[in-house]
Parts: sequence; C-alpha cells; structure tokens
Amino acid sequence: MFNRSETLRDSTGSSPAAAGPSTAVRSISQMAMFAALVAVLGQLPAIPLAGGVPITLQTLGVMLAGAVLGPWRGAGAIVLLHLLVAAGLPLLAHGSGGLGVFAGPTAGFALGWIPGAFLVGLITQASWPLRLWRTITGTVLGGILVVYACGLPVMAFQLGLSLQQALLLNLAFVPGDVIKAVIAIMLTHSLARAYPAPFTHARRRRHARGPAR
Amino acid sequence: MPVGAKFLGIFLAALAASLFRENLWVLLSIWTAALGGYLLAGMGLRGLLAQLWRMKWLVVVLTIPQLIFLTPEETSFNVSRVLAVVLLAALFTLTTATSDILAACERALRPLDRPLRRVGLSAERISLALSLTIRSVPVILSFYAEIREAQRARGMRPTPRATVMPLLVMSLRHAEETAEALAARGVH
Repeated sequence: MFNRSETLRDSTGSSPAAAGPSTAVRSISQMAMFAALVAVLGQLPAIPLAGGVPITLQTLGVMLAGAVLGPWRGAGAIVLLHLLVAAGLPLLAHGSGGLGVFAGPTAGFALGWIPGAFLVGLITQASWPLRLWRTITGTVLGGILVVYACGLPVMAFQLGLSLQQALLLNLAFVPGDVIKAVIAIMLTHSLARAYPAPFTHARRRRHARGPAR
Repeated sequence: MPVGAKFLGIFLAALAASLFRENLWVLLSIWTAALGGYLLAGMGLRGLLAQLWRMKWLVVVLTIPQLIFLTPEETSFNVSRVLAVVLLAALFTLTTATSDILAACERALRPLDRPLRRVGLSAERISLALSLTIRSVPVILSFYAEIREAQRARGMRPTPRATVMPLLVMSLRHAEETAEALAARGVH
C-alpha cells in the first residue's frame, strides 16, 4: 500500500530528501487525516434537500479521499474510518457508529465506500495533470454507481424488498449525490492547482511515462 | 469475556439471522440472547430501554418503506430481525472499551505481520494510523470552527465549496506537519 520509492520524492521536490518523513509515514498521516475529515464532514450541519431528507457531506469526503489521495490511500482512509466505527466510535453521519451500523440496512452503502473511493482514485489519477473528463467519470462511477451497487442489494436483502423497490426508496438521495459529485470534481481540480503535493499517484504515473511531456 | 469471542458470537448471530430469515425460532433466540445480554451485562431495564429509544429513527426508517411494498406481517418480522441484530451489535459496543477493541485488533493482526509487510503494511503501522485518526478528529473540528469564524467575520455564506476547500488544504498541511513530527521522533 505504501510507495517506498525514494526517486519520487526527489523528482517532485516537495520536501528535502535527507531529513523528510518516509513515504510510508506520510501516507499513514494523510490517510488518518482523510479518515478524520470524512468523519467530521458527517457531523457538520446537514443540508436539507428534496422532501426534507437531511443529508451530510460525508460522501463528498469519500469522493475526495479517492480523488486526492489516489486509489490505495483513498480506500485505506475509508478502511481506517470503518475500523474505528466498528470499534464503537460515533464517526458516521449524525454521530452513528458501533458495530450496529454494519448490521443495519445501510451497511452496504458504508462498505461500498471502500471500492468506491478506490475506483474514484484509479480513474481520476490515471494521468497528471488531471483531466476533467477523467475526474467526472471517476467520481460518478466510483462515488455514486459503485456505492449504490453495493448498498442497494444489502438494503433489499435486509428489508426483504426487490432491487427496484430499494432503488425507488433511495431515489431521494440521488440529487444530493450528484450535487456532491459536482462539488468534489470542482474541489479536486482547484486543489490540484493550488496544492498538488498529495496527488502522488497521478504524478508518479506521469513520471513513469517519462518526463517528456 | 474476551473481545474476540464476543465479536465472533455476534457475527454468527447476524449470519444466522440472515441465513434463516424466515425462521421464527432463530429470531426468538437472537432476541433472547440480546435481551439476556443486556440484563447480564448490568445494563438493567433502564439501559435496555434507553438503547431501544436510541433506535427509534431506525425503526421509522425500516418500517415506513416496507409498509409501502410489503404486508404488515412481513414488515414486523423484518423489522424485528434487523432490530435484534443491531441491538446485539450495540451490546458489543456498549460493553467493550474502544481501546480494548483496538488492542484486540492489533493482536489479531500480529500473526499476519509477514504477509502484511509484503504489501508495505504492518500491525504497527495500522495501529499508528488508527490512533492518528482518533487524534485528528478534534483537530479537523477546530479547523472547521476557525473557517466558520473567518466566514462569519466577512459575512460569507457557508456554502459547501467555500467551507470544504480551506478544510482540505488545512487538513493536508496538517498531515504533512504530522508526518514531519513523526519522522523527527524516529518513526519511519
């Protein structure tokens, strides 16, 4: 999971090669920070949307974890968050947490964040500089479709409904997810310009193809 | 009771509940286990009622959509099955300290250290990441308070974009500082 190549750090020049932290330590720190960020985004005042359903920015954090940290560290951040939730900390939306979350009807959505963040990162960071169409594809596929593909069957099974019925119940959340995807795409590209240091997955790919471009 | 055994018991109960979903006896025994567990753990009737009250929204979220599509009998059966498992899982959370769970998690990872190292992980690194995450939550909350204060001073509306962008930059900078602090303390 951790990239230990020393050449990366030297080539990007983001820190002094001699005394700086190793890539593994930096990765751990970034994943921990993003896991905490996703947790905090779930606690902030919710935005009332479509029919008064309160939504939080938690899934925005999931999309950003993949888009900014890349597939491995992005999914790793979500795994960290889920380990702490399973251990009993109230880190999911509106202070829910504990093992009960993974026994409830929305367990599939939460677990779907892991492959979701991975896919967002894989597609978004396939090249450097980032391409807008890649970020859009990645965020929609990973941040919305994969999450629903994991969440709906679990909910349908838990509630004894068909997949179509489960989808119908969750349609109210789709507009919110689309808005969050748009925000995630804009934030990712602003961040890539303002603070490109964390986008190491994409920049390594560019480096691997040779410094010609 | 050891954390691992407790966890395994709940896992098996949840598995039984989903495998034998139409079986009334399985459902009744899980309810018995959950209710008995609360009384045995010294939660008392009040603790049990408080936990049930905490699940009121879950009941609403579970019941209303099912009543649209299913019969009342099926709905009550489904709802009570999910509630029993959630209640049992919550019992695990209530009776086990988070630090004990994390310690058990680290112990469980120790024998896996060799395959973990092959992919650049280790039990040590995972537990470092977990404790860093716990410490980072209040830090990021204080960043959020700072951002809101600055926005209020300038009369800005707290749109998601205007709030999350500085939050992202501050968090990533803080991650870099943390990594440097760890390196300075000899963590590699």
